[in-house]
Amino acid sequence: MGWAFYNVPCSDTNTSLHPFSLAKGLVTSGRNTCTPYHSSTVKIPFVAILRTNLHQEMNYFPDEVIEHIFDSIASHRDRNSISLVSKSWHKIERCCRRRVFIGNCYAISPERLIGRFPCLKSLTLKGKPHFADFNLVPHEWGGFVHPWIDALARARVGLEELRLKRMVVSDESLELLSRSFANFKSLVLVSCEGFTTDGLASIAANCRHLRELDLQENEIDDHRGQWLNCFPDSCTTLTSLNFACLKGETNLSALERLVARSPSLKSLKVNRAVPLDALTRLMSCAPQLVDLGVGSYENEPDTESFAKLLAAIKKCTSLRSLSGFSEVAPLCLTAFYPICQNLTYLNLSYAAEIHGNHLVKFIQFCKRLQRLWILDSIGDKGLEVVASACKELQELRVFPSDLHDEEDNNAAVTEVGLVAISAGCRKLHSILYFCKQMTNAALITVAKNCPNFIRFRLCILEPNKPDHVTSQSLDEGFGAVVQACKGLRRLSVSGLLTDKVFLYIGMYAEQLEMLSIAFAGDTDKGMLYVLNGCKKLRKLEIRDSPFGNAALLADVDKYETMRSLWMSSCDVTLGGCKRLARDAPWLNVEIINENEDNGMERNEEDEREKVDRLYLYRTVVGTRNDAPSCVTIL
Amino acid sequence: MAKEGLGLEITELRLGLPGDNNGERLVCGSKKTKRVFSDMMTSSSLDTDGENSVVVSSVDIVAGEVADESSPVAKSQVVGWPPVCCYRRNKKNNKEASKAIGYVKVSMDGVPYLRKVDLGSSQGYNHLATVLENLFGCLGLGVALKEGEKFEYVIIYEDKDGDWMLVGDVPWQMFKESCKRLRIVKRSDATGFGLQRNSSFE
Repeated sequence: MGWAFYNVPCSDTNTSLHPFSLAKGLVTSGRNTCTPYHSSTVKIPFVAILRTNLHQEMNYFPDEVIEHIFDSIASHRDRNSISLVSKSWHKIERCCRRRVFIGNCYAISPERLIGRFPCLKSLTLKGKPHFADFNLVPHEWGGFVHPWIDALARARVGLEELRLKRMVVSDESLELLSRSFANFKSLVLVSCEGFTTDGLASIAANCRHLRELDLQENEIDDHRGQWLNCFPDSCTTLTSLNFACLKGETNLSALERLVARSPSLKSLKVNRAVPLDALTRLMSCAPQLVDLGVGSYENEPDTESFAKLLAAIKKCTSLRSLSGFSEVAPLCLTAFYPICQNLTYLNLSYAAEIHGNHLVKFIQFCKRLQRLWILDSIGDKGLEVVASACKELQELRVFPSDLHDEEDNNAAVTEVGLVAISAGCRKLHSILYFCKQMTNAALITVAKNCPNFIRFRLCILEPNKPDHVTSQSLDEGFGAVVQACKGLRRLSVSGLLTDKVFLYIGMYAEQLEMLSIAFAGDTDKGMLYVLNGCKKLRKLEIRDSPFGNAALLADVDKYETMRSLWMSSCDVTLGGCKRLARDAPWLNVEIINENEDNGMERNEEDEREKVDRLYLYRTVVGTRNDAPSCVTIL
Repeated sequence: MAKEGLGLEITELRLGLPGDNNGERLVCGSKKTKRVFSDMMTSSSLDTDGENSVVVSSVDIVAGEVADESSPVAKSQVVGWPPVCCYRRNKKNNKEASKAIGYVKVSMDGVPYLRKVDLGSSQGYNHLATVLENLFGCLGLGVALKEGEKFEYVIIYEDKDGDWMLVGDVPWQMFKESCKRLRIVKRSDATGFGLQRNSSFE
């Protein structure tokens, strides 16, 4: 078994010298091709032939070896690329694929998924379009998980993990899930709805090997039942339990017993109903916690309770992540001082009661913080403190505490805070920033300070607001961001913007995958710049902008390279959408009407009528059959 | 911000009086997502020419005026703006609601601290009595509510009008909505409050 030096096509100079990375080097060169471009020398065992048709060489290996090589490749995109290399690789890859990610549940059917990946263990599904988060999509639009669970169950897939985002989940689905997969381990639901705590009870009762139950920001009907009691005494495998979004009361003794018998529990996020003394007891029996979500406690704790909490917290030396604190007396945050220098993730964005000095004093000791989510009540001054204290910061989200933008809200943040952060936190790569005002100068400075942005989402609360110093549009500021941040993958723009900003985006944002536009642009040219320029664009969502049929129809093939397009309150008409649907039968073109009546009475001839909401997406399974009456699929 | 050569599409913001028999309709961007930014509305309505002349109806003028004068109010009416996800929005609203309605302060004679109780999630007078008993460690408050005359303490509340009323007289829902704060006082002291009895519910 000799070593050889082998010329391997690699997509980047960082290819590790691990022999199994040779396969990765071959496939990460692009989505649809495996053309090698530049090569570097990799030391590998087994092979001693200096040729570049690596995959043909590899076919001399038994399938198990190739599978073993593929197993080390985790990224979905790389796996997708591998499967395109050759028929034999396609076959091997699909049989050993364990994790599948489906960004749009209507792009493919459960049957086809199972047909291709029979050994599936982990499935991630996303349903409703992103703007559903902002009440722009009717509740009954779709995204039902039941057909998927049903199909997986009937095909006896050995499902172990299910992760859903913006899907409709029913108690029946959860019950079916809990009974159909003996080895089911992990359920993660994000922004889902349609189920109650009864569904959770089935999961608790029937999933014998459950490790993770993670409920994030779901709308759950809380029947105030005893779902926590449904975990059998034999259930000791929990590693993660998050029920922070439940609104009702929690059976505290059941919870305490569950935590006490879960020695592997690393993540615990409780809801409002878990008061201070219960939290203290929970932490005392789970000092191994890494991730804690605190509930709420209305009153200031008395000295003895506070001392007990402090003692419990001191023992949690592994704690790295802290969240919750909705309705919490500010004093309670100080109980966490002993471990604050260990924290890497702090989410105080629901803690409206904690502000000003308490907040800033706490954060300034969190020297290792990498992710910070807070409310804008921290103010520019508070952000300056963050900038000087949190040098490891990678992600910052600043949410608005006042959604109605009242004039006298002095505590909100401005461009000053953003500039301070960019100057102090050079590792910053993701930002979501809601602010009152912005300037081009500030954005230009931010771009210069932080050229490593991957996600840049700026939301100026008042739509169409110009640079508050020069009264000009913010085209130049955002232009500077896209030009400097060569790795930018996600961008949300706001403020007063003309077509020019889209010219910049089309020109410079080469890696951009997701773009969100609201109240921006002047003409179809704006949208066209983006569609023509951003080659890697996958998701485009636009609201209240003057883009119409000319832009929509200019390059129909572009939509095949994208996951979806959303346009609401724009200038596209029914006629334009019909034409698109005709020219691109592999797209589902959905018109979402304001209400059912409009849909039924719509005058078929009136194609000049503007469309309220348009959502189109590529699919291999044609029109879906579960659309409600307010949705017309062309 | 001049719009360029979009042909007929631009004129879709044409506005006609209701019942116009050309079939032209009031198509004004989105009806429910109010475009209250007067720049957008007035500039687009002025851009048209030729056969698709714009009749700036009274409706439009009113809308424009409303947009100008009451911008802060109008801003908050734009659906889905600012783009904060509804879970977060609802949580904030619930918190504000609970502040507004649910939590009331309770004081008890002879006890040096104030407590708060959440009427919003309380299910009725009995439940309230239990909660109060737990808060103050004072058994028998439930009895005080029910039996009225015999117990040492009475529970009274200040309503929206500033009057002190006896707890238990009115239907629970009505009580929840009008109660501003609670007090547990000794029966002997209660007469000084000029308690209003709501006779229609006795």
